[in-house]
Amino acid sequence: VNEASQAGQKTNFVLFPLGKRRFALLADAVTELARPDRLHTFPHTTPWLSGVLWRRGEIVPVCDIAPVLIGPDAPERKFYLITRRKGGSSGEWTAVPVTGECELATSELLPVTSTLPAYVCGVISLETEIVEVVDLERVMATEGNA
Amino acid sequence: MRLTRTEPRRSISKRVEPVILFAIGKTTFAIAASAVDEIRSLDGLASCSMSSAYRSLRKVKFTFERSKKNYLVVDANLHFHTPPTQATRILVLRNSSVAVLVDSIDRMCELTAVRKLPQAFTGEERQWYRGLTVVEDKLVPVVNPQAFLSKAESAVALTEIAARVAEEAKKVLTAKGAVSA
Repeated sequence: VNEASQAGQKTNFVLFPLGKRRFALLADAVTELARPDRLHTFPHTTPWLSGVLWRRGEIVPVCDIAPVLIGPDAPERKFYLITRRKGGSSGEWTAVPVTGECELATSELLPVTSTLPAYVCGVISLETEIVEVVDLERVMATEGNA
Repeated sequence: MRLTRTEPRRSISKRVEPVILFAIGKTTFAIAASAVDEIRSLDGLASCSMSSAYRSLRKVKFTFERSKKNYLVVDANLHFHTPPTQATRILVLRNSSVAVLVDSIDRMCELTAVRKLPQAFTGEERQWYRGLTVVEDKLVPVVNPQAFLSKAESAVALTEIAARVAEEAKKVLTAKGAVSA
């Protein structure tokens, strides 16, 4: 995020829909958009994790951030955005359920105002909308129910 | 019903581990077969509720006696914070005074690999599970038997039970004394 926020530098983002709103992740962190897969669930106490996927021989935790970003009435999630986040020595894949198809955008990362939630690491200004860029680590650190 | 190991354990290769698959609600779990001493029915259980200050001891719901030794029965639903289910079996853990109440025993199988729990999981599950394994395309958590009740917690609970038994015996003796007087 720091590298991306250098003044005037354009960066690639993946825009993903959650209900009627769109959010963005840094494109470097996203590896693919996947169709719904079998969700394996088991008891745990970590907030926002809904289970794990078994994809290509890898265990991928599923982090459902919709309740944090748009509240409890989020519509059905249709796809998984597979992202690479910190965790372990070489990073860890994490699947983020989203409600529709994603889009690639190139824009300048603008600094956040103090009124935005702590998980917003910047905003990007598109033709018709301002999109919040989400820091997945900070979303997962948000207090919530497992 | 009692299912007790009668045959000596086979030597196993480092990469293959026999496990017992059991269910609690809709979730299937695996536990190392070497960690289980016996699978029992619910016969002979005595209800108990721990008044101890140890919050974690609230999951001990029953006790039973086997070979003059008291065992503490942990309700797996309370351990895993899951809704109540219909328990029908007890897994008696090896080399401990702990047993676990579970819904059913599925079967035994052999694991070739236990994969680490992803780092994204940061809660109590890091103690509960050794990792995850794949059984017929299904990811199954492999439980850590020591996590059900620590040795310190077991010692506290057994001491509390012994104190209660002594108190009951004292009451009986006092009552008998009063009757004979």
